[in-house]
Parts: sequence; C-alpha cells; structure tokens
Amino acid sequence: MLTFEYFLQQLVTGLANGMLITLVAIGYTLVYGIVEIINFAHGDVFMLGAFSSVTTLQALGAQAVKRVANKDQSPIPETYLWLLIALVTSMVFCATLNVLIERLAYRRLRRGSRMAPLISAIGVSFILQNVGIYWKGVSPVNFPRYIPQIDLVKAMGIDSFVRVTTKDVFVLIVTVPLVIALTLFIQRTKLGKAMRATAQDRDAAQLMGIDTNRTIALTFLLGGALAGAAGLVSGLYNNTAGFQMGFSYGLNSFTAAVLGGIGNLNGAMLGGVFIGILAAMSDGYLDARWTPVVIFGTLNLVLIIRPSGILGQDLAERA
Amino acid sequence: MNQIAPKSRRSLLKTATAVAGAVAGSTLPSLASAAPAGQGVEIIKIVSSLPLTGPSYGQSISVVNAIRLAIEEAGRKVGNFVIEYEALDDATAAAAKWMAEKEAENANKALNDPDTMVYIGTMNSGAAKVSIPILNQANLVMISPANTYPGLTKPGKGEANEPDVYYPSGVRNYTRVVPADDLQGAVGANWAKKLGAKTAYVIDDTELYGKGIADVFVASADKIGMKVVGRSGIDGKASDYRAVATNVRALKPDVVYFGGISDNNAAKVLKDLRDGGFEGNFIGPDGIFDTTFLKTAGDAAEGVYCTFGGVAVSSYEGSAKEFAEKYKAAYHADPEAYAIYGYEAAKVALAAIAAAGVKDRTKIRDAVFATKDYKGILGTWGFDANGDTSVTTMSVSIAKRLDDGTLSWEKVEILTAG
Amino acid sequence: MQTAPRMTPGRRAYVEVPADPQQTRNRILQAIAVAFIVAYPFLDLLFGWQALLAFIPMMLMITLALGLNIVVGYAGLLDLGYAAFYAIGAYAAAFFTSPNSPLARVLPGSPFAWMQDFWVAMIMAVLVSGFAGALLGAPTLRLRGDYLALVTLGFGEIVPRLIKNLEPWTKGVKGMNPIGRPYLFGCQFGVDPCEILGMKLKLGMIPYYYLTLVIGAISIFAIIRLRNSRLGRAWAAIRDDEIAAQGMGINPVTTKLWAFSLGASFSGATGAIFGAYLQTISPDQFEYSTSVIVLCMVILGGTGNIWGVMLGGLLIQSFDRIFAERLTGWIHKAGALTGDPTITAAFNSFDLLKSRLLVFGLCLVLIMNLRPQGILPNRKRRETALTDLPEEDLVPEESVLIAGADVPTEKPR
Repeated sequence: MLTFEYFLQQLVTGLANGMLITLVAIGYTLVYGIVEIINFAHGDVFMLGAFSSVTTLQALGAQAVKRVANKDQSPIPETYLWLLIALVTSMVFCATLNVLIERLAYRRLRRGSRMAPLISAIGVSFILQNVGIYWKGVSPVNFPRYIPQIDLVKAMGIDSFVRVTTKDVFVLIVTVPLVIALTLFIQRTKLGKAMRATAQDRDAAQLMGIDTNRTIALTFLLGGALAGAAGLVSGLYNNTAGFQMGFSYGLNSFTAAVLGGIGNLNGAMLGGVFIGILAAMSDGYLDARWTPVVIFGTLNLVLIIRPSGILGQDLAERA
Repeated sequence: MNQIAPKSRRSLLKTATAVAGAVAGSTLPSLASAAPAGQGVEIIKIVSSLPLTGPSYGQSISVVNAIRLAIEEAGRKVGNFVIEYEALDDATAAAAKWMAEKEAENANKALNDPDTMVYIGTMNSGAAKVSIPILNQANLVMISPANTYPGLTKPGKGEANEPDVYYPSGVRNYTRVVPADDLQGAVGANWAKKLGAKTAYVIDDTELYGKGIADVFVASADKIGMKVVGRSGIDGKASDYRAVATNVRALKPDVVYFGGISDNNAAKVLKDLRDGGFEGNFIGPDGIFDTTFLKTAGDAAEGVYCTFGGVAVSSYEGSAKEFAEKYKAAYHADPEAYAIYGYEAAKVALAAIAAAGVKDRTKIRDAVFATKDYKGILGTWGFDANGDTSVTTMSVSIAKRLDDGTLSWEKVEILTAG
Repeated sequence: MQTAPRMTPGRRAYVEVPADPQQTRNRILQAIAVAFIVAYPFLDLLFGWQALLAFIPMMLMITLALGLNIVVGYAGLLDLGYAAFYAIGAYAAAFFTSPNSPLARVLPGSPFAWMQDFWVAMIMAVLVSGFAGALLGAPTLRLRGDYLALVTLGFGEIVPRLIKNLEPWTKGVKGMNPIGRPYLFGCQFGVDPCEILGMKLKLGMIPYYYLTLVIGAISIFAIIRLRNSRLGRAWAAIRDDEIAAQGMGINPVTTKLWAFSLGASFSGATGAIFGAYLQTISPDQFEYSTSVIVLCMVILGGTGNIWGVMLGGLLIQSFDRIFAERLTGWIHKAGALTGDPTITAAFNSFDLLKSRLLVFGLCLVLIMNLRPQGILPNRKRRETALTDLPEEDLVPEESVLIAGADVPTEKPR
C-alpha cells in the first residue's frame, strides 16, 4: 500500500479531478472577483451543463450508444465531431443560462447589501436543482462512454501499478487550453482589461466609459461557458451525472477558489489541483469517510495562517 | 415605551394574519375528511409517511402507488368499513429529505385522527426511531415497507437499550415486511464465501442503512473466516471514487461488498472499480436492487450480485409478476424496488382490519401481529413477536443482459439466513 | 412572544407621544396576537386544526434564526455553518442525558449525577455551544466577509462528519436516543398521562409548545437587551465601519467574538429542546441545508430586525411545512369550485409535489428582488434618533445610507 507507485497513482487521480474542479472554480473566482457575489448557483449550472451534454450526445449518437452497448469499444470517427458539438452546445447553454441568472436574479441586487444576492443565489440553486430533477430524474444517469479507457503506461510497454488512462489525458487536453485561453483573454484583450478594471473599481471603470453591466454579463458568460465545458468533461470522465453533483463539485470548487485566493485565476487552478490531490490522498491513505473533514480542516488552517489564500492579494481585507 | 416603530407593529399584524392564514388552511383537510362520515358507514383510514419531496420521491411515490393499488383492488372497502388512504410526506422542501420533526408531526397527526388505524411507514429507519415511540403510546400499528435497521425490533442487535427504548408502553406496535439488515448482511457474506472469496473489501455510503448492513457483513465475514482487507465510507454525492478504486486494486480482494443504495452512487462506485481494473465479484444489498442501478451502471452491471428479502421477488415471477403488470397498467411505469413491500404492507393491513372486524386500534394492532402463514405476494410468511417478517429466505440475483439488450436482475439462488 | 418589546425600559430618550387611534388599534391587535399565540394549543385542540406539531419546530427554527441574527444582522458576520452549533447544542444535551452516551456509564452514582437533569443539560448545551463559537471564532474572526463565511461553511461540514465518524462517542449515523425530557412539577414533557396536583392530564406535546414559546420570548427579550447594550452598539459600529469603530476604541475581535459566541449559545438551547422534543438525534439532521434555511429566514425577513427575522422565519417555515404540502390540494379544490369539468380536470392534473424546490427557490429570488433589504428592513437609524420621526422622513435617508439600492447609479434603460 505504501509504495511510491501507489502514491503516484493517487497523484494522477487527484490531478485529473483537480483540473475539473479548476474549471468550475474559475466561474466562482471570476464572478466573485468582479461583483463579490458567492454564486451559489454555479455548481448547479455545471450540473445542467452535464445534463445538456448527455441530452445532446444521446440525440446525436443513438447508434453510437448502441455500439457501445454492444461492447464495441473502438471509437467511431464521427464521435469526435459529436463531442465537439456537445461541447459547444453545453458551453453556449450554460453561458446563456448564467447570463440570464445574472440578469434576472442578481443585477438588481448588485448595489444593495451582500446578503440579498446570496439568498437570491441560493434560491436560483434550488430552482436549477428542480429543473435537473425534471430533466433527468432524481437518480444518477449513465453518461455514454465516448472516451475509451486505455492505459497509456501499459501501451508504452511499461509494466507498472500506475495507470495513466486516455481519460485522464483527455481531461488535461480540454481543461488546460481552456484555462490558458481564458487567462490570455483576461490579460491581453480589451474586454479582459475592462473586466479587470470593473473588478478593481466598478464606479471608476464606469467613469472611464466601460459599460460595467456588459462587462459583468461577460464575466458570467465566461464562467458559465467554462462550467458547461466542465459539465461535459466531467460526464465523459466520470460516466455519471446526477442532479446533486452540482452541490459537491460546487463546494469543492468554491473551496478551491478561496484556497487559491479568490479573484485570482492562477489561484483557482492551484487551489483546484491542491483540493483534487488532497482529496485523493485522503481517500487513499485515510478513508473517504474523513475526506471532507480533511479538506475543510486544511482550508480553515490555510485561511487562519494566510487569510488571503495562497495566491490572494489583499482581497480578504477588502471585504 | 414606544420603541417599537409603527412598521414593526405592522409586522405583528402580518404575523398574526399569517398565523391565522396557516391555521385556516389547515382546517380544510380535516373538515373534508370528517364530512362523509355517518349513516352507518364507518371510515377506517390508512396513512403512510414517506419522503415525497426530493431525491426519494421516485422510490416513495412508487410505494404510495402500490398502496393505492392494493386499496383499490379491495374496492376501498373491508367489510362495512370504507377505507381511506392519505399519503403524508415526511420530507420538507428546504431539506429535500426526511426530517425528524416532520415525521414527528405526521405521527402525531395520525395519532390525533380517530379514524386512522394503520400507519404505513417509514422509508428511513431514522424516521422510524422518531415515530415508533409516539405511535406506541396510542397502540397505533405501524407497518414499514422499507426499514431494515435491526435495532428497531431485535434485542441485542443494536444498542443496549434497543429496541425497548422505542416501546414505552411495553407492547410492540411496529412491524416490517422487509427482512432486517442482520439477515441480509449475513446472506451477503455467505454468498461471497460461496463464490469462493477469501478476501473482501467493504464500501459503505455512510448512512444508517448502508453502514449498518456493511457492519453486519464485516461481522459475518469474520465469523465464516473471510478476511476483510479494507473498508471505505464514501460520500454518495461525490463525483468519483477512483482513489477508493486504486485502494481496491492495491489490496486485490476477491470480492467487493457495497452497503448502500443506488441513489448514493452505487453504480458509479462499481464503474470506477471496473475502470480501476478490479475484476472480482461485486455484491450489494437490496438497496441496489432496482433498474436505476442497472441503467446507471450500464455494461459494468453485468455479473453484479444482489441480495433481496423474499422468495419470488427477484425475478418477479408468480404473483409478484402479476403485481408488476397491474402496477404498470395502472401507473404506466415499472414499480421501484420497495413498491412490492408497500403493496404487501397495505394488503396485510387490510387483512388485519378484516380479521379484527372492529374499528379499534388495539384490536387491529393485535390482528397485524397475529399475521401468520399469510399467503402474500412475497410468499407465505407471518410476523414474529418482534414484528419482524418470518421470511428468512433471501434470494440472490445477478444482473444479466437479456436477448433484447436490456439489463435485468435474474434470480440465481435462494439462501436461508440462520 | 409579543410582550417582550414592552419589557425594554433601557432607553430613556424617547419622547412620549400622545396615543393616536392608529396606535390604539395596533396595540389591540398586538394583544389579540399575543392572546392567540398563548391560547393556540387549546384552540388547536378545540377546532382540530392539527397544526401544533408544525408550530413547535417552526418556533424552534425561528429562535435559531434569532440567534443567527446576532451574528449576521448585528455584527455583520456571514455565518454559513450555523447548524454546527445547533448540532453541538443538541449533542451536548444528549451527552448528559442519554443513556446511550459514554457519560451515562460514568455519571450515575458519581457526585456529578445531577448533570443528567434536562435543565442542567440544557444550560450545559448553551455553554458548550457558546464555547464552541468562541473556539471557532478566536482564530478566524480577523478574516473578513466571505472568507469568514467559508470558514463557517467548512466548520458546518466538519461537525456532522465528526459526529458520524466518531462512533464510539456519538453512536455515529445511528444517532442518540432517548434524550432526557424536560419536566415541570414532577411531570415529564411528552409523557402521558401526567399527574399534576392530583389531576391526571393528557397534555401531549403542548408542554413543548410552551417551552419553545418561553425560550423564544426569553431570546427576544435577551436579544433586545443585547442590541441596546454597549455591546450591541459596538456590533452596529463594527458592522457599519470597522476602522472607524476601531478608532473609537472598540476592539473588533472581542466584539465579534462575543457576537459569535452569544449567537452560538442561542442555538445550544434550541438544540437541546429539539433533541428532547424528538427524543432522537442523528448527524444528518444538522447538515448544510439547515444552515442555509436559517440564514434565508434571517435575510428574507430583514437582517438585523428581530421582527423581520421572525416574519421571515414564519414565512419560510410555514411555506415549507404547511403551504407547500397543501398547495396542490387547494389548487385541486379551486378547480372543483369552478364547476367546469375541463377546468377541474386541468387543475387536477396539476401536482406541485415535484416542484416544491422550484417554488421555494422562486419565492426566495422574487422576494429578494422585490425587497432587497428583506421584508422588514433593519432601521438602525431610528435607534440613534432621539425622537420618533414619522416613518416617511426616514425611508429615503435609510435607503441612501444603508441600502443604496434605490440610488440610480446606473443609467436607466
């Protein structure tokens, strides 16, 4: 049990999960950074993203599902196109949903106390969960297996306890470019600059001629799109989706965002990977029973020692 | 004096009207149920208390439908009594699961309604812990279609003060038509041994049912000389269990036993185990004995074993099959796993009312407890003095792919738990 | 419950305003409301309303919300894990009184056997919860805003897990039962029949109703006193501007710590009664959803205003426990009233059972958007005003200073 290979295997698991958490965490971090709302509904947007992916894939690939059912593991070429379509639909769907949520449930509350948007967000979260129940029922649903599970370490001819599967790699292939693209967008483009300005000082940004309403909507759009992508990737990676998945992912992702330093993209990534690995290690070396205690215990410790999160600036003191 | 500003006073007014509104609202149902009485027709009411809000809805509504079906079949009548049925919800929207105080409220509602003679419930053993003592004081009989926690009825199987703590009057009023965990966990272990397993890894969903049955499995495995090499308690809402699967792969057990229910990601656990390279047998209790598990697990489900209380149920043959067909015709859906128990509970209740022949809680309770050699849909069975079903035969089923491509639970063997 | 406001002689500066008819009418309504609440159990019995058992948990939840209001409303600290303290209170009481607890093996016969008394256990629960609040607060209260919220959320997740996992002490998922019952005049609550002064009475759960009522009233009284005390003013100062408050010589950490600890201690008493009322407690009764609902009650009604909090609590709880359940039935009845068979059929096909979460969420969103400050906003300006200003004069000022919600800073479309 205590071999180095065992450790490596848990590390791989943690890393892949951590990247998924990152995608959702970015949504929290972006929104919090710009409007200081804990968007409680974000996890549920992610859940609906997974549901929309199932629906799209099922609609597109009825035969593929049949082939998979017949244990034909070889991927059909057009599935990659379908995956792309599903990815885009899911991203568009979640982005639209998130923008709508902002427009209908948060915008009016932006200037008031911080409590009101919080309750509104909790309300939206309830609504989305119920939509999830309508859509796919209360039990977890099967997510079609489009990504084959091939052990790459073995394929390279190395005999080891450690397995790095195509699925793990797939997660990295999708998430890393998305995170990089987003970072570039925020750092290099004019819209990104507007976002940063709005995050720093909304009134000043407005005086400088930035349409803050549009900028905030854009932020929700980006967060939603990433949640949509995460919904598809998590579905393909985990092969299950359920209406409650938003809660656990949301909690972990929000924790990751804060741990890394909320409002900070690199922080979200760092926090996500950290939480993913921590959870895997705790599952592996302790007992999954203790994992939430370990995660939240660590979070509390980190915040006590370094109140602004690992990479956070002075935000914690900004309040 | 007048610190409370006008607006606050209005709040009092609003408070008062809100209370009044709530109360006025609450009068409606009781008035409605009181109306048709009289003219020599006596009403006997059966209530059920199950979590109808949130994730348990599917399972619970299936039980409710099954109870309705049983009552409809009896023509809503037993002798001279008109049978009424009310489905109470012990879940709240805010929590989306059963709440102890809601269950207490339901139990008291039943207790205070002089027409209520039978209480079918609960779904969760934790809820039964709340309502049994309340109903015990009024001799109101309870028939549970789903509680499996042994401590509710069996001395020495739970805590030291169980089960007496639930029966303050000293007389039992609680029965269940499902076999308790102590039987099923043991049967699971026996079956694992029979499959040739020498080592086992046990996973539970950290809930009362799942952990309880897994505990029994571990204890029974010890007794029959099977080694439990590892144990994990998972969060039913977590996104994946790969780390646990890695654990299993490292320990190489012959069999994995899962204590828990389908809605707590049983299928996902299985899939992660298979993806992680585990090739041994996977055994679960009746909590995974449903179509949800098969649908969610897909291919991975093939070859999974599952234990279940009762004889004919596992492959739905004979009268059980008939029930499934009737159910489908009436509600256009397949019955969920516990529906058949709900049906049997209602049938037993109706039979007991007929046997008692009077509208009297004590007599009806005694009649339920007197159920012996009852030819029901679960076979021929009765209640013992503890209120447990005499069914000690358990069936083991295996998930198989049928010729039409769908997955189905097929009976493998009948086992008897000691 | 409603008598409490009159018991606040602490403030002297108000000018006696001659009674006007409006006020007299209000006072009569107040009296009626109080009389109704006090007499409710008997009315319930008399008319067979069967809602008493819904009211007891409702009132407990409202008391819980009042405690949370100290933390969230007065001190302005967002607490997302309040249920943890509630759990600690309930388990503390169970630890002392339940025969299942490890203490039950030690206490009887020892000089500390008196601790097994419910009332003693309840006070212990209050102390333990308060202490837990201080313990969590001490290292974390220098965090501000949502960071603190996350720490409390984490704490709220940790506590039920610990209870689940530390089975040898807490009995894990099985929970603890039975729990010591409160008693009065040698008569145990919830045990029938009960003998007082030679009379045999069947009281059912009525004693618990009055117990929660009394605890609620004491809470309201204590909270009003606290709010008006030096500490209460320090809370308000810190909530509004921490730096300025610090400049005025207020120690923010101790002040917040008091809020956290006192807020937690209220949940201790509630937890003890809750446990005794149900006679069994298990960790899944104290999960995140409980924290969230209590927080919703505080904010929905109006953060910082106890009447608002009570109203919010009443609305959410009555919706959750009474209306949501009966709504479908009412819709069906409304359909039947029209007499038209097609409309009746259409109404009958309507079943809200599956949509309760949706309706609940929709209500939260709507109310928050229509009244961002809560239904009855906190009127802290009034507290510092020397005379009773007419309400109209206050409203605009309030919204500028507190809410800012009505200020059109963005161009209207």
